[in-house]
Amino acid sequence: MAKQYDVLFRLLLIGDSGVGKTCLLCRFTDNEFHSSHISTIGVDFKMKTIEVDGIKVRIQIWDTAGQERYQTITKQYYRRAQGIFLVYDISSERSYQHIMKWVSDVDEYAPEGVQKILIGNKADEEQKRQVGREQGQQLAKEYGMDFYETSACTNLNIKESFTRLTELVLQAHRKELDGVRTRASNEMALAELEEDESKPEGPANSSKTCWC
Amino acid sequence: MEYEDKAGRPSKPPSPKQNVRKNLDFEPLSTTALILEDRPANLPAKPADEAQKHRQQYEEMVVQAKKRELKEAQRRKRQLEERCRLEESIGNAALTWNNEILPNWETMWCSRKVRDLWWQGIPPSVRGKVWSLAIGNELNITHELFDICLARAKERWRSLSTGGSELENEDASFPAADREASLELIKLDISRTFPNLCIFQQGGPYHDMLHSILGAYTCYRPDVGYVQGMSFIAAVLILNLDTEDAFIAFSNLLNKPCQMAFFRVDHGLMLTYFAAFEVFFEENLPKLFAHFKKNNLTPDIYLIDWIFTLYSKSLPLDLACRIWDVFCRDGEEFLFRTALGVLKLFEDILTKMDFIHMAQLLTRLPDHLPAEEFFACIATIQMQSRNKKWAQVLAALQKDSRETEKGSPPPRH
Repeated sequence: MAKQYDVLFRLLLIGDSGVGKTCLLCRFTDNEFHSSHISTIGVDFKMKTIEVDGIKVRIQIWDTAGQERYQTITKQYYRRAQGIFLVYDISSERSYQHIMKWVSDVDEYAPEGVQKILIGNKADEEQKRQVGREQGQQLAKEYGMDFYETSACTNLNIKESFTRLTELVLQAHRKELDGVRTRASNEMALAELEEDESKPEGPANSSKTCWC
Repeated sequence: MEYEDKAGRPSKPPSPKQNVRKNLDFEPLSTTALILEDRPANLPAKPADEAQKHRQQYEEMVVQAKKRELKEAQRRKRQLEERCRLEESIGNAALTWNNEILPNWETMWCSRKVRDLWWQGIPPSVRGKVWSLAIGNELNITHELFDICLARAKERWRSLSTGGSELENEDASFPAADREASLELIKLDISRTFPNLCIFQQGGPYHDMLHSILGAYTCYRPDVGYVQGMSFIAAVLILNLDTEDAFIAFSNLLNKPCQMAFFRVDHGLMLTYFAAFEVFFEENLPKLFAHFKKNNLTPDIYLIDWIFTLYSKSLPLDLACRIWDVFCRDGEEFLFRTALGVLKLFEDILTKMDFIHMAQLLTRLPDHLPAEEFFACIATIQMQSRNKKWAQVLAALQKDSRETEKGSPPPRH
């Protein structure tokens, strides 16, 4: 227990410039929101330790520059990540369209078994909305990802989405540790197996579970 | 109770606090919160000796506070004197630059005397001029060319806002969607350039200038376009030069090999720069170098921001300008020397940190850096490795990477 954390994960935030990646992160780690952030050049870092299912997880979050030109550089960081947030802005159709490109980059450069989650940010800007909630859900479903609409401004679903991705990574990681050879897609089987191992605080098996 | 309390005194007695105040020729600021208030009416009166004791204690506190404030006043006076001295020396330096150096630029700029003065920092009043001269105008950009580029940029903004597409066929290799994205990104980034200065944002005094320079540049160099980080460089130039000269300096600065490599994101060449940096890193700070290697902290993680924005985003602005001063004198190698200076300044702390703490420190340097100590650190960095200078090391590495490229397909990352 002397250690400050039990396990360390690296999560990465990617998505177009200006969708609010840095804002999401600041809200999550410092509970702060500034409408005028300085642009991220290259990569920035934050860290937070959270407890998921009784496990202290230290998460390092890598916050990347969104401009396409920088992707040659930021792609290099994909392989160091265990979990990836794909972020678009609900008031920007273009940022949503680009998610497909971001996903294909992830598929190409990230390690196998990397956990992904789709985020539609700026949910507070309802009057400027260009991307419907169901569009986000649909896309997430297509790629087999969880989906959250978030707002760093009003603190909507921030903790939930970060915790959810951490949970997913933890599940994938545990499986690896326990040597359970289960297809990642077969979540029910995994949960059952872990229940069999009688872990009272095993990871939640359903995507609806929120740790709050 | 109330009446009992007051009974023994003459009518409307001054409160103890007023008594004490009368005895003081000035009231120390820090004690205002300590002043004894009258006891709330619902409490029994203080015995006289206790009241006396409290009054005494209060006066002692006041004396202490007075001493502290006197000390503070002396410190401020010293600071003021120091500032006056500094301003005088800046004034003198400005005279030297204006009267001696600038009129004889070609012959004097590389002299020992000028180089030494340069290292001290260029006085703000001549900074822009010196930067312009040092950066030069290899591209022969004229004010007219700037006007032409700006006019084209404005046309594009107009056609974008009206949804027109009359420019669609121009620059076929740069699709309209990209151009549009790039123009929108400029708008977004301007609001995110030194937001705390509040001068570049919409409605601020330098907003249009910054917009013009970045827009004109994308028309001047559509092959490079707008890349994040540029807004910071243009902003620093705007603070020191008028619009046209800032544009000339901006375009020429970005045309330098190191800047071109980074802004075009020529990944192979960037890796070569990082490799050259690591040669000097290991040479100058071997222990820290080993620590970084062990923690897998690669130079791209902290260097990208520093090189792309020429430290203007990561260092306090006055310090960044001093880095720019010497960068104008020494060229790209000074950017890497500065990086090693930062690492040296924080060497002791960094050696005790793990990856994430190092990465956080380096990507977000403290707001206050001791300027003189920092420059002293930079001064100790030797840009010589086994008798090879920066340019030679870089050239050798470039040759190596070209040869491996020829020999085998480049490794996929």
